[in-house]
Amino acid sequence: MTMTDGYNRGTLRFRPSPSMIRLIAAAILLLFIAGTGFFVVDQTEDAVVTRFGKYINTVGPGLHFKIPLWIDRSFTVPTKPVQTEQFGFRTVRPGASNVYQNNLTRESTMLTGDLNIVDVEWIIQYRITDPRAWLFNVHRDVRLSTIRDVSQAVINTLVGDRAILDVIGPERTSIETNARVMMNEQLNAFGLGVNIINVELQNIVPPAGVQAAFEDVNKAIQDMNRFINEGKEAYNREIPRASGEAEQMVQIARGYATERVNKARGDVARFNAVYAEYRNAPDVTRRRLYLEAMETLFGETGQGTLVDKKLDNFLPIRNLDKEAAQ
Amino acid sequence: MKKTTAKYLSFLAGAVLFFVILNPLYIINEGEQAVVTRFGEIVADTPNAGLHVRIPFIDIVHVYPKMIMSLEGDSQRIPTRENQFIIVDTTSRWKIIDPVKFYEAVTDVNTAYSRLSDIVDSSVRTVITSSKLNEVVRNSNLINELQHRENFALGADAQEIEFDEITTDKIVYERISRGRRALSDEMADIAREKVLAFGIDLIDIVPRQIKYSDELTESVYNRMIKERNQIAQTFRSAGEGKKAEWMGKLENEKRSLLSEAYNRAEEIKGTADAEASRIYAQSYSKDPEFFSFWKSIESYRKTVPQFEKVLSTDMDYFRYLYTPAGR
Repeated sequence: MTMTDGYNRGTLRFRPSPSMIRLIAAAILLLFIAGTGFFVVDQTEDAVVTRFGKYINTVGPGLHFKIPLWIDRSFTVPTKPVQTEQFGFRTVRPGASNVYQNNLTRESTMLTGDLNIVDVEWIIQYRITDPRAWLFNVHRDVRLSTIRDVSQAVINTLVGDRAILDVIGPERTSIETNARVMMNEQLNAFGLGVNIINVELQNIVPPAGVQAAFEDVNKAIQDMNRFINEGKEAYNREIPRASGEAEQMVQIARGYATERVNKARGDVARFNAVYAEYRNAPDVTRRRLYLEAMETLFGETGQGTLVDKKLDNFLPIRNLDKEAAQ
Repeated sequence: MKKTTAKYLSFLAGAVLFFVILNPLYIINEGEQAVVTRFGEIVADTPNAGLHVRIPFIDIVHVYPKMIMSLEGDSQRIPTRENQFIIVDTTSRWKIIDPVKFYEAVTDVNTAYSRLSDIVDSSVRTVITSSKLNEVVRNSNLINELQHRENFALGADAQEIEFDEITTDKIVYERISRGRRALSDEMADIAREKVLAFGIDLIDIVPRQIKYSDELTESVYNRMIKERNQIAQTFRSAGEGKKAEWMGKLENEKRSLLSEAYNRAEEIKGTADAEASRIYAQSYSKDPEFFSFWKSIESYRKTVPQFEKVLSTDMDYFRYLYTPAGR
C-alpha cells in the first residue's frame, strides 16, 4: 500500500531538486557546446576556421575544437583527392565498363591555326592546394566554372596556334605540357589555390562532317597497297613461267643439236665403212652398189613400162585415163 | 540561490533581446566587404572580415562579395575584318574593388551583371571586327615553326614510294603581329576603363571558344574534304603507278627472258648444224666422185619409187638384157 502511494506521488507530482535542474541545464549546455564546438576533419581534407567571419587558421585531419555558438566556423576542403574535369565528353555511368557521352561540340569544336575545324576532347586533373585561397578568393558559384573556362580557353589557344595535322599528330604532348603550365599561370593569377596536375588530351578527331573524307585517306592507302600487291602478284605469276618457257626452248635446241650431230656422225660412219670396202675393190663394188640399188628400185612394185630403144616405130601409148579412173 | 539564478537568467534574456532585436553588431565574412549607409548617406566601408559595430536601426549594412566573380558572355556572331562571320563565346572575370563607388553606381550585383554584359559584349565586338581571322584564331607564329608532317601508316609495300607532294609541302602561313592573347588583353583594356567608374575591376576577357558560323562551317568542311580527297587520290594514283611499274617490269623481263632463250636456242642449233656440216665435209671430201655416186644411188632409192616410170632398155642396168656378152 505505502509502496503504491509513493509510486503514485512520484509520477504525478515529480519535483526535481534545484541541483538536479542545474545538472540537467549544464548537461544540455555541455552537449550543445560539444555539438557546435567539436568538429572532425577527414584524412582527405583540411579545414579553415574563421572567427566572426575572419580567417583564424587552417587545421589538418583529426578532432578539433572551436568556439561554439557559431562564433568560430569551420569549412572543410578536400585537399588530398585528385579531382577530374572532362571536356567534350562526360562519363555518364562510371563502372567496370564506363559509359560515355561524346560529341559535346559546344566544348570540343575548335579552330586550328590553318583555319580548319577539329574536335578535341580532354580532361584535367587538379587538386586544391591552398584551402584558404580556394574558399575566399573566388566566389563559390564560379570556382569550378573558372577552372573550366580557363582550361577551355587555354586548349583553344594552343590548338589555334597549330595546324590540324600537328594537332592530331605530333603536337599532342606539347599541347598537354603547355596547357598545364598556362592553366596554372592563369589560375594562380586569380588566386584560386588549385594546382593542375595533369592535362590529358583524349580523342582528337576531325568533325563528323569530314570524317568520311579522312577515313577515305586510310582506305586509299589500303587501295594503294592492294594495287602494288596486284602488280607484284602478276609479276610473280608470269616471270617464273616465262623463265621455265625460256629454259624449255634452250633444252629443245640442245636436243636438236645433239640429234643433228649424232645423225651426221652416223651417216659419216656408214659412208666411211662403205668407202673402206670400195677402196679394196673399186670397180666391182661400184657395180654391185649400183645394181643393188636398181634392184630395190625396180623390184618393189612391179609398176612401170620397159621400152626397147631400138623399136623405132613403136609409140608407147598408155591409157592414162584408165589409170586415172582406177 | 534561487534569486541569483533568476537574476542571471533575466540578465541573459535581456542581453539576448538586446542583440537579437537591436543587433548592433554585424559580421563580415572572409571574401566579403560592405558599405554602411546612414539615412541614405555612406558613412563607412568595411573592407576587412570580422566583427563590426553599427548604430541599430539607423545604419544599414550592404554586403558585397570581395571575391572574383565571373560573367558568361553571350555567344556572339561577329564579322572579322575580312567580313567572315565567326561565333565568339567569351567569359570574363571581375571583382568589386571600390564598394563605395559600386554602391553609388550600381548598388546591387544583378544590375552590375547586366551593365558588365553590355560593356564586355561591345568591347569583344569592337576588337574582333577590327582584327583578321588569323589574329583571332592564332596566338603566335608558332605554326610556321612546326612541321605539319602527317604520319601515314603506309604499310611495308609502299615504303619505296616517296610522297614528296604530300608530306613535304610546307605552307607558310601569314605572319601575325598580335594574336589571341593580345586581342583578349585589348578587349579587357577597353572594358576595364569603362567599368572602373562602377568600382569594378575587370580582370580578363577570354574567348573560350571560337567557331565558324554555320554557313562558313559548311564551306570549310568542303575545303577539308577536298584536301583529303586530293591526298587519297595521290595514294591511289601512286598505287596504280606502282602497279603499272610492276606490269612493265614483268613485260620487260618476260620478253628479255624469252628472247634470250631464243637467241641461245638458235645459237645451239647453228653450232650443231655447223658441226654436222663439218663432219660430213671432212668425210665426204676424201673421194668426192664416190660420194656423188653413193649419195646419188641412195637418193634414187628414196625418190624414184614416187615416179611413174617408163624405162628404156638403153639403161646400163639392162646391158645384158638381150645378150650375155653385153652391149
